[in-house]
Amino acid sequence: METDESPRVLPFQLQFDKPVASQIKIAEWNPEKDLLAMVTEDSKILLHRFNWQRLWTISPGRCITSLCWRPDGKAIAVGLEDGTVTLHDVENGRLLRSLKSHSAAVLCLNWEEDNHLMKDGNGNLSTYEDRTSCFFPPAPTVPRMPGVVSGDASFMDDNEDSFREFSNSSQQRFNILCSGDKDGSICFSIFGIFPIGKINIHKFSFPTLVDIQATYRLVNASIYKVALSKDLCHLIVMCSGELFEDTNESQNGKLVGHGTDGLHCFVLDTSIFWKRKNELHQVAQQASNIEDLTEVIRASLSVMCKQWSDAMNHFHEKFDSLSTLIIDHGLDSSPQEEFLSLLGGARTSPAVHQFLVNSLGEVGVKRVSKVVCGAGKELQLIVLDHLQPAAEIIGFRMGELRGLSRWRARYKGVGLDETIINDATEKAGMLLVQVERFIRVLSSVVQQFSNFFNWLLKCIKLLMSEPSDQLLPYDSELLVIFLRFLYDQDPVKQLLELSEVDGDIEIELETMQRVKELVNFGGFLDCEYLRRTLAKEFQLMESSFSEAFQMPHCTISEKILCENLLPLFPLPSSPVPTSFPVPASISYYEDASHATSSYQTCENRCIDYISFQVPDESFPEIANCIGIARGFMNHSMNFKRGYTSLEIVLLCVPGGYQCVDLSLYKECQFVLLLNETNTSSESSGDACMMIVQASDLPFVSISQSTSPDYWMLHQLKDSVVYLQMENEKVRSIPHRVIAPLAVSTSRGVACVFAARKRALVYILEEDEDEVSDAE
Amino acid sequence: MTGQKYGLCGNVHFLRYLNSLCHDDYFAALENLHRYFDYSAGTEGIDIVPPASGCNNFGRYEIALLFLGMMHFRFGHPKQALEVLTEAVCVSQQQSNDTCLAFTLAAVCNMLSEIGVSSTAGILGSSFSPLTSIGISLSVQQQLFVLLRGSLKRAESLKLKRLVTSNHLAKAKFDLTHVQRPLLSFGPKASMKLKTCPINVCKELRLSSHLISEFSSESSTMTTDGAFSSVWLKNLQNPLGSVVLSQENGSGSNTNAFQFYAQPSSIPGSVLQLIGSSYLLRATAWEMYGSAPLARINALIYATCFTDALSSSDSALAYVKLIQHLAVFRGYKEAFAAIKIAEEKFLSVSKSRILLLKLQLLHEHNLHLGNLKLAQKVCDELGVLASSVTGVDMELKTEASLRHARTLLAANQFSEAAAVAHSLFCMCYKFNLQVENATVLLLLAEIHKRSGNAVLGLPYALASLSFCQSFNLDLLRASATLTLAELWLSLGSNHAKRALSLIHGAFPMILGHGGLELCARAYIAEAKCYLSDPSFSVFENPEVVLDPLRQASIELQVLEYHEMAAEAFYLMAIVFHKLGQFEEREEAAASFQKHMMALENPQQEQRLLFNI
Repeated sequence: METDESPRVLPFQLQFDKPVASQIKIAEWNPEKDLLAMVTEDSKILLHRFNWQRLWTISPGRCITSLCWRPDGKAIAVGLEDGTVTLHDVENGRLLRSLKSHSAAVLCLNWEEDNHLMKDGNGNLSTYEDRTSCFFPPAPTVPRMPGVVSGDASFMDDNEDSFREFSNSSQQRFNILCSGDKDGSICFSIFGIFPIGKINIHKFSFPTLVDIQATYRLVNASIYKVALSKDLCHLIVMCSGELFEDTNESQNGKLVGHGTDGLHCFVLDTSIFWKRKNELHQVAQQASNIEDLTEVIRASLSVMCKQWSDAMNHFHEKFDSLSTLIIDHGLDSSPQEEFLSLLGGARTSPAVHQFLVNSLGEVGVKRVSKVVCGAGKELQLIVLDHLQPAAEIIGFRMGELRGLSRWRARYKGVGLDETIINDATEKAGMLLVQVERFIRVLSSVVQQFSNFFNWLLKCIKLLMSEPSDQLLPYDSELLVIFLRFLYDQDPVKQLLELSEVDGDIEIELETMQRVKELVNFGGFLDCEYLRRTLAKEFQLMESSFSEAFQMPHCTISEKILCENLLPLFPLPSSPVPTSFPVPASISYYEDASHATSSYQTCENRCIDYISFQVPDESFPEIANCIGIARGFMNHSMNFKRGYTSLEIVLLCVPGGYQCVDLSLYKECQFVLLLNETNTSSESSGDACMMIVQASDLPFVSISQSTSPDYWMLHQLKDSVVYLQMENEKVRSIPHRVIAPLAVSTSRGVACVFAARKRALVYILEEDEDEVSDAE
Repeated sequence: MTGQKYGLCGNVHFLRYLNSLCHDDYFAALENLHRYFDYSAGTEGIDIVPPASGCNNFGRYEIALLFLGMMHFRFGHPKQALEVLTEAVCVSQQQSNDTCLAFTLAAVCNMLSEIGVSSTAGILGSSFSPLTSIGISLSVQQQLFVLLRGSLKRAESLKLKRLVTSNHLAKAKFDLTHVQRPLLSFGPKASMKLKTCPINVCKELRLSSHLISEFSSESSTMTTDGAFSSVWLKNLQNPLGSVVLSQENGSGSNTNAFQFYAQPSSIPGSVLQLIGSSYLLRATAWEMYGSAPLARINALIYATCFTDALSSSDSALAYVKLIQHLAVFRGYKEAFAAIKIAEEKFLSVSKSRILLLKLQLLHEHNLHLGNLKLAQKVCDELGVLASSVTGVDMELKTEASLRHARTLLAANQFSEAAAVAHSLFCMCYKFNLQVENATVLLLLAEIHKRSGNAVLGLPYALASLSFCQSFNLDLLRASATLTLAELWLSLGSNHAKRALSLIHGAFPMILGHGGLELCARAYIAEAKCYLSDPSFSVFENPEVVLDPLRQASIELQVLEYHEMAAEAFYLMAIVFHKLGQFEEREEAAASFQKHMMALENPQQEQRLLFNI
């Protein structure tokens, strides 16, 4: 700039220049700390500190297609090729959540938080906090699978804390993660964990700037970039696709004209997020926690099922030899009968004698007893420490949601349905009853098994004519029950397993009558619930929950509307390339100049900037240019008032250079990364980075009347602004550079990657030198 | 006589003792208890004391004392009970009978937490040696806390699993209503968080449910021989119960494993009773903390899983809770129908509990109907129940006078009502009934609100709020917030915004966990706030006002609360009038008239009520 002092030749200080192991395809700075997350070509995620110390590396095993940070910088969202969005802990890269909301590759992510503190007029709702943490100790976690090496127990424990912290969203500000995929779907999730909306842009019809009468449809669309405004009211989407005119008479609209296959930009009205943020916050907080807890229950059930069936297999392995022995001895009876007659003292058949004394023996009984009773104990602990607390907290949280759903004036709008939630609350209650019954059955089974083993030990001693006074006593009646019902059957497993043939549990008449009578006292209307197994009950509860949470999802999805479409430029090649080489950046800035307008409420005090490179092939007249549009978001709103606010400027990159990547930076500046086109010279100036103040550029207002052409940029071909290297802050880079360019707005740093596998970090903000050094 | 016969004799006396205890016959109980210990020296028939510990020549004096103390407590003689139990502690220590000491301590804890504590303060301080020896003067609550902890530790070290559980339950009960203060705190920086700790309650309750996995390690819990065969024989005609004895399909090949569930449980009754009472305690806790679904579900769990062969007074309590829930959330008609069934179900025992509930519901219903004479009569009956032969039930006494004050308030006798409430507050304060304090303060605020002294009411409402906050009484807090909002609103329309924001803050709590009356009150208050707000215009969005009013009128009609229903319809009629919807206006006005008529001559419904 003109004011630059003469000794200061280099505007951006080079922090360092380090080699990188492999080529980087995505790089994002942490918004809060000086951390850089990078994705390599072979889909590893690396996290580096500002001093280039590597914190961790993970490889999810699938192709990573996008990445972004949570606004508080404590988690990373990663979009994968198979449509999954995973969240990782910043501390160690551990997988926190995985949400498969897309069916195609997630190409872009944007996580934005509500920057208004809840102080506005109806902000009193924020005083209603989550009561759960006041009444319950920390929520139970997923029980560990048996056989997990205890060596990494401490590692696990560390993570449990962070996991818990993550689930506890009450401290968080309201935030929304948007993700766009290759098939044109955009998903929204609150806190990145509770899906709240999904739209497909193919279903929208767009009013365009060109012709307000006609509406258009996008075909073969693929989302390229999403950017949610800071007030969560608008979402600007960049996507590629073909435009069709939407005619009423036929389903298949006609093509608007040749070359409509291109990059488009449109605005979605997501003001529902802003208007109902308190309600959504409450719902998401309760619902996502409920989902976590159902996960705990599911895991508990499967762990218990596995442990118990292992123990039972062991038991049957040992005792099956008895039946073969009985057959070998030519007897026509069952093991139970033989045991009963041993109990009755009638006779001891040789088979039983041989089995007890020789094949099993005292040690064998003790071993089986240890396995079975040990497993029983484990199961009891899982129920008491995981299953029951989780079910109880679910009941509580569902009750809270029920309270919210009854406030129809507020919560009907976000799709919380009273009757469905009521039903879900009932289901949660039934599960609690079932859990109580299960633990009783389990305890009684364990008791009878240990009774049986005690008796066996005593029998063995007697058969071997050894003293048996030291042994524990047994109950002969329990033995009868054991032999009758437990010896070759497994009621515990049956409660735990979902079987296809659903046998009804037989219930005493008395209990049934009592349950029916309880209806008069406000009991569960469904009297038959005790006939179901625990696993079945859980399944029913889960499905009623998902039905309950589907309602807000649908309701919110319907309220996200398209406002406006702006076709940017045609894409030359007819087959749509999978990933766009076109650099683009979208950002929102506080709009100081227009803030005074009286009609503007606080919800649109900011202005959007969309910057993008115009491919040379798109317009023959416009070469080597980048375009910047601003005011698009407010355009449709203002349009109704008779004027337009959309303005675009075309900037021509200085000759001899070619734009590699660009990124919007703070205060309406943007950073350009340029490569020299003639690579012949071996001079140091292979590439350069420059900052341009965008707000000072001569923007041209775009309006309907002046645009007979379909592609807006066409009309600007005469007003191209030429960038002059001398007038801007420029730093030359001694390497040939490649995309991406990672710029941190909050920290004032930029990371540039060279083609020869190097990473260069520059400090964009001179004032922040001290801060950065301290890091 | 042989030893065997001695034992049988002892059992007979013990049974007689228990029987007279059940029938509240003090003298017979005392007589039989004495006889029991004379004949058997306490070695038979009781399974709580394992006979393993060393026998001594004095027989079982400490156990006898323990029983005597518990009997006194049962008959409402806390003073004697405490004396006897103190003696029992001393003797147990002398005889080094740790088990008995543990049980005695648990009994003392139980008693201290049950009775109004202020009356025992003198006794404890002077003669109770285990505590005075510490040399610190502690408040009664703190003494109880120390005792509870000591008792728990002792039971744990002795591996008395059931005693551990009952100690956990006692601790949970203690934590429910007591603010935990550090016994000693120094300096101004010592953090004083004066709040009860519900997390501790939850933790204690969860610990208490661990009994189900541990009971088998306690040797005395083995069921006695023959317990099952009698059940099997009894159930012969029952197709499921008699499967054990049936001979067909003896090979077990096609019996269904699901039949196992229909078998009588092998878990001993005493274990189940303790676990069941943990659910009841949960239900009580959630009633206080304000989670209606959980309170109901926990009572339901008890009623579904625990009612067979267990304490019928406990299961009566569970049913009482369910009926109360029904009355609050679905109106009196269903509640009275349920009471009828419950009365038949619990014909023999715990009549008083059902009777009490019936009186409570009758009182509420009559208050709502505007039938004040009958309400007062019912209230007096309640007062009589409070001071029966078995000692003064403080809780009941406070409730009776609270209801008295409410009846007076309904009759617009404000100064009398305030006087009753004031004396009630003094009593609650004296006996440390903090939770009741919050209710009484709220009632005082209500009295001032109704008498038109909103400014006087404000401090009471705020005091009640702070009580609720420190005891985590969330539902009561919401209703105190509502009262506060109503008070602000009655101060003038310029406070309407503040009142509205207060109401909206409490709405999720009120709608989710409050009963019909509370919800309706909140709806009406909300509508009033809108209507009195000068910046609000009905024409812009009439539904904002009409929807809550409609809700309120539906709920109040279910409740048969004529006075408030009339108010709701009145407001509705006004709104419709403003909107120019005259047909709807007439409809609302007719409903208003109907409810006013019903309020003014309650005789017609009176006859109905007498039939119940």
